Amino acid sequence: MSVGKAVSWILLAACGPLIAWLPFPLIMKSLLAQATFSALFALGVGLLIKQNGMISFGHAAFFGLPGYLLGVLLPYQLVSAELLICAALLLSGGLAFVLGLVFVRAQGIAFGMLTLAIGQAVYEAATRIRWLSGGNDGLTLKLPAKIFGLSLKVLQQPSGMLAVSWLVMVATLAIVSLLASSRFGRLTEAIRDNEERARFLGYRTLWPRAAVFGLSAVVTGVGGVMFALYSGFISPDTVHWTASGSALIMAILGGSGTSWGPIAGALVYFFLKESLDSFTTHWLSIIGVALIVITVAFPTGLAGLVPFARQLIANRREARLARA
Amino acid sequence: MAIQLLNGLVYGALLFTVASGLALMFGLRRIVNFAHGSLYMLGAYVGYSVSHLFGFWIGLFAAGICLALAGILLDGAVFRPLQHRGPLTTLLVTFGLALITEDLVLSVWGKDTLSLPVPPAVGGDWWLLDTTFPVYRLLIIAFGAVASFSLLVWLKGSRAGLFVRAASYDPVTSAVQGVNTDRLGAVVVAVSAGLAGMSGVVAAPLLSLAPNMASDILVDSFIVVVVGGLGSVAGAFVAALLLGQINVLGVVFMPELTSLLPFLLMIAVLLLKPAGLAGDRV
Amino acid sequence: MTKAYGGFVALNGVNLCVEKGEIRALIGPNGAGKSTLIDVISGRARNWTGDILLFGKAIGHLNAAQRRLLGLSRSFQRTSIFQNLTVQQQVQLAAERVGDSECESILEEFGLTELADSVAGDIAYGDQRRLDLALALVGRPAVLLLDEPAAGLSFEESKRLAEHLQVLARRWNVTIVLVEHDMEVVFSIADQVTVLQLGVVLAEGVPDEIRRDRAVVEAYLGSAA
Repeated sequence: MSVGKAVSWILLAACGPLIAWLPFPLIMKSLLAQATFSALFALGVGLLIKQNGMISFGHAAFFGLPGYLLGVLLPYQLVSAELLICAALLLSGGLAFVLGLVFVRAQGIAFGMLTLAIGQAVYEAATRIRWLSGGNDGLTLKLPAKIFGLSLKVLQQPSGMLAVSWLVMVATLAIVSLLASSRFGRLTEAIRDNEERARFLGYRTLWPRAAVFGLSAVVTGVGGVMFALYSGFISPDTVHWTASGSALIMAILGGSGTSWGPIAGALVYFFLKESLDSFTTHWLSIIGVALIVITVAFPTGLAGLVPFARQLIANRREARLARA
Repeated sequence: MAIQLLNGLVYGALLFTVASGLALMFGLRRIVNFAHGSLYMLGAYVGYSVSHLFGFWIGLFAAGICLALAGILLDGAVFRPLQHRGPLTTLLVTFGLALITEDLVLSVWGKDTLSLPVPPAVGGDWWLLDTTFPVYRLLIIAFGAVASFSLLVWLKGSRAGLFVRAASYDPVTSAVQGVNTDRLGAVVVAVSAGLAGMSGVVAAPLLSLAPNMASDILVDSFIVVVVGGLGSVAGAFVAALLLGQINVLGVVFMPELTSLLPFLLMIAVLLLKPAGLAGDRV
Repeated sequence: MTKAYGGFVALNGVNLCVEKGEIRALIGPNGAGKSTLIDVISGRARNWTGDILLFGKAIGHLNAAQRRLLGLSRSFQRTSIFQNLTVQQQVQLAAERVGDSECESILEEFGLTELADSVAGDIAYGDQRRLDLALALVGRPAVLLLDEPAAGLSFEESKRLAEHLQVLARRWNVTIVLVEHDMEVVFSIADQVTVLQLGVVLAEGVPDEIRRDRAVVEAYLGSAA
């Protein structure tokens, strides 16, 4: 990695803790922290689109599942909370992988429907199986005083959580980017482009796609864990299909062609929603229109504007040099 | 037991009338219409408002006409211009439309559950075997039966139907053969939308109206289409009946897991027959 | 080999025996079953009865990926490449799977070196077809199945393709089975020709014999011979 790139990453990572430390209004810090949870959610959805070319309509299941696992299992104190968090993420990812082995065989829309169905299934389970999930009331998480060496009190405050979740978000993005540019990333993109040819080159195409599905579930789950730690609470709202839909929109808005696009989309979406919510109740229509406009006119999303802007700047510079 | 079967048929009939439209649209234009549930919902609400003024039957008729017109608009403004852009595009755009529709319904009719009373002409119960059964539910079954029969006759008998079936197999060749896919597309979407809208009104006395009715029926309709085989109306018919029965039996025997059953059915079918029950046949 | 699609029997008792290092052409009118035969041998078609033997080993139960790893490779009638990857990336991908690290030489061999960093979806049709072929030949497979490799190519390009195939076959000792309609290509490089019609072998032999065979001329070649 070049020095320039390394510096950019470090600067990016530093933004969160910096903002958390500076005396910005508490409400803004809290919103930004919550935005990072959505950003991780969208990152997972975007990863699936970018590497597999598949759209998931039920990813909220993987956002809320780790939280529910924590809510149900923490009181038993079988293992430390840290271990439980890791286990919850692995279980969630593992489930997605196994389901993926079946799901990815389905073509395009059938896959989408399967994911929608699983999202619904988890939601229904969360609302109906009251003795386990607390039903519509949800579950309070019995978190210990310290997690991964950090005090819970700090984690449940805007400044504290912002610093931590921002770093987690950047770290996850780094891992995802690494994966995308690796041999595995190239393989899955090839399978996405032409699954048949990949097979005729000698590759097995089932498990790589299922693995991506599993990974996207884990990434989304990380966001879900941060959310659960922050609020100390989990409810069926987190696994409702509208949450899946919003995450999908964030990913499309930001552009699924790059790894970081969905994160940008999530941050923009989140703050747009917060600012517009006080003016209008028609947020649904606004986002519906935005989705249509982006899909039809700007399919590469916000991230797609970057090369466009770069080209503009390069042209300007060339013109200026030519005149000099 | 027979009563359970009948109840299953009621929901199955409703599912079919909605899902058949989805199957047709996918078969003809490879369109995934995420707004199909919204068409159903709009029909129900329009029918609701109109029936308050002119009675149930006028309401039903109005819903059908309005939604058919909406379908023509949808086809002309969205499906046709975007048909060369890949299935993802229409999927996302119709998703956006579904969001807008939900907002519309919330704004105009509010988020509370509304009820539409059963029209008095078909109220009451009939004696069937050794128990009573609401006449209205029988009407729903009849509605579904008429819809399936008409669709069947149209698909197998008419020229347009032949074109639809041909296009389902091979859209490119059909277009080359001189089938006016544009006009055909508009007709198919209009019929599908009108049917969905009427289903909404027909279902309203039974299931009530609420803004989440769009997504509820959409999920089940998509499962029907996927299980039946994408683009196959006959497959959707069988799948709808199957799903209707499973839903009802699930409520009786395993209420907590009812919602998981359609999902399990879909997985089971896709494992055994990835192309759905009908495979490649229409 | 017998294969049926629904009620239509595509291949009926077809027997094909190709020597190592041979270039065999499969010709015949449309619907003869040539592509079907290639699909069956390469693992693309299912539900057939019969046996497929590669150097004496039965491979009929293996899937396409497994057959490729054993050295049975194919190209596609409708160009089948990875639209969003660069030329180099996809050749590298193919090479990594078969343990071949000689990416540059493949690119050079097929005249793709200058296009190495171009996205495959953006290059010219002729270049894409060469890429399709290159992907099939990465790792120097023992057997190469070609489904109308000259389709859509100009007269010049077809000639160059034919010569190239012949050179590669000799240099790398690749056994080639090609389905072709372009008779120039067929008669310039084929060692043996098999003629299929309506799922049955009509005739088999060296090009000159086939050219003169009356049944073949009537059924297919007409005045093109």
